[in-house]
Amino acid sequence: MAVIECRQVTRTYRRGEQEITPLERLDLDVQAGEFLALMGPSGSGKTTLLNLIAGIDKPTSGVLRIDGEDIATFSRSKLAAWRGQNVGYIFQLYNLVPVLTAYENVELPLLLQNLSRSERHERVSSALHLVGIADRHDHYPRQLSGGQEQRVAIARAIVGKPRILVADEPTGDLDRTSAHEILTLLRELTRSVGCTLIMVTHDPHATEYADRTLHLEKGRLVEQDEGVAS
Amino acid sequence: MIRPRMLPLVLKYIVRHQARTLLTLGGIASAMFLFCAVQAMRDGVAEATQETADETTLVVYRENRFCPFTSELPEDYGRKIAAIPGVAEVSPMRIVVNNCRAALDVVTYRGVTEASLRSMDLMLPEGSIDDWTRRNDAALVGVRLAERRGLKVGDRLSAAGVTVTIAGILTSTNPQDQNVAYVHLDFLQRAAGNKQGIVTQFNVRVADSTQLDAVAAAIDEVFSNAQAPTWTSSEKAFVSRAIVDIVRLTSFAGWLGIGSLVAVFALVANAISLSVRDRIKDHAIMQTIGYPEHLIARLVVAESLILSLLGGVLGLSLAVLVSWFGSFTISVEGVSIVVQADIATILAGMAICAAIGASAGLLPALRAARMSTAEAFRAV
Repeated sequence: MAVIECRQVTRTYRRGEQEITPLERLDLDVQAGEFLALMGPSGSGKTTLLNLIAGIDKPTSGVLRIDGEDIATFSRSKLAAWRGQNVGYIFQLYNLVPVLTAYENVELPLLLQNLSRSERHERVSSALHLVGIADRHDHYPRQLSGGQEQRVAIARAIVGKPRILVADEPTGDLDRTSAHEILTLLRELTRSVGCTLIMVTHDPHATEYADRTLHLEKGRLVEQDEGVAS
Repeated sequence: MIRPRMLPLVLKYIVRHQARTLLTLGGIASAMFLFCAVQAMRDGVAEATQETADETTLVVYRENRFCPFTSELPEDYGRKIAAIPGVAEVSPMRIVVNNCRAALDVVTYRGVTEASLRSMDLMLPEGSIDDWTRRNDAALVGVRLAERRGLKVGDRLSAAGVTVTIAGILTSTNPQDQNVAYVHLDFLQRAAGNKQGIVTQFNVRVADSTQLDAVAAAIDEVFSNAQAPTWTSSEKAFVSRAIVDIVRLTSFAGWLGIGSLVAVFALVANAISLSVRDRIKDHAIMQTIGYPEHLIARLVVAESLILSLLGGVLGLSLAVLVSWFGSFTISVEGVSIVVQADIATILAGMAICAAIGASAGLLPALRAARMSTAEAFRAV
């Protein structure tokens, strides 16, 4: 069953006098538990599609259903609450909050939920342990390497047990060894946690970890590959 | 406003830029110190001059004289005043000050009879009226004068050419009593200019407060053709006339107080605006992980509120310490105005800080909340 359904999705915005359409009449289905990679040149609409799926942007036209719900009709508050419960976002540049420790960064989404201090502690510790960074829990982002920061960001994305994980070039700022470790971790997480993962990447090696790869160009889907992940 | 579990996050943002936060807190504290000092002065003036419906005391002064140095009335006026219908008690008083102009450290001697002293509502934590009675040069000193001059029972006090021995420290509900030294009337008449039979004023207690104006008019009528005509008014009106310049000054100082509050608003608003601008990305991250815009706005307002209250606590605490340990009293023409930050001023200051903190954070909070997540990421 498709957890994400895009029908004729278009996103247009204005930059000064210029109208830009990074995504045009896109149709896409993503199955539950699938690891989908999105590839394409800069400006092809990958990140725009990711932002639409994550509910941090809305399509100009078309229908985007997640779990059968048209999220474009949600109010900003409802959309925020929906994101908190259903989506985990992993950024290329990690985007950890610099004034918070690794532990506090991972705890941040849980502060929105009615959990006791001990429940939060249990879930944060478990997430940090899962991504292999438990021993750095009291470190600030500036005290961590790129790979460690991305692990903390992944822990923050999965701590709320989301149904969908979106990752915008999660290995774009990492060396090859760290990139391999992060991609392996993401693949294992989709299988152990059972969430759907949509990943934007420029790296052809990264697509080897995905179940399926889509190629975008000028806002349109141009090609699909089955992945080689095992 | 926000749940307690969010508080550490707000505090982390407050201490993020330590130098900026300290400068802001210093600015708020200075402004609130100024506000508190001005307010304490205004309260002192109000306390000294506000008349109440149950006032029963009149002051009889020499007409067209405004200073204890120049107001001289024959002591035997007291018998004629006592004979006027409605007068319950007459207390002759000789007043000597070491400085007739407005000053912070004025010593005011009030020469009174023993009967007058015993009729006053005085409390003596140290010494006694009997000790005062036994010694001709004895003085009962108001607690604020004693604190200011570091006086205790048995010490000698010299001012305006008069030297007295402290027989007791007194407190009273009347703020004027806290700053004077009560001495024997005949002693002061002799010691200050050898003016036996001359007093500065009469304090007249009226049996019925509704008769205050009528009795005052009757007294002035009796002496209207005498060599030393009188001007009689209620005690509070007398004080108001004596300190009219100070009243004008405190009215002007009120604008300084308002200016200091505007400065607090500007400081807090500036600090929060800069703080919010610094973390556009952090707010975008928070929105991405599910923080609704109203919660982000509340976090910003909470930060503004805490910053303003912290600065307020610092400034007001400093004002309280300075006013209590400094024992400031402005005296003019023998009338004293106590400048002391009381609990009402502190509470009002904190409430104002809270209101300023909340309102100063409102605009930056709305800006932070209204920025779309996608826009915010593009902006950084």
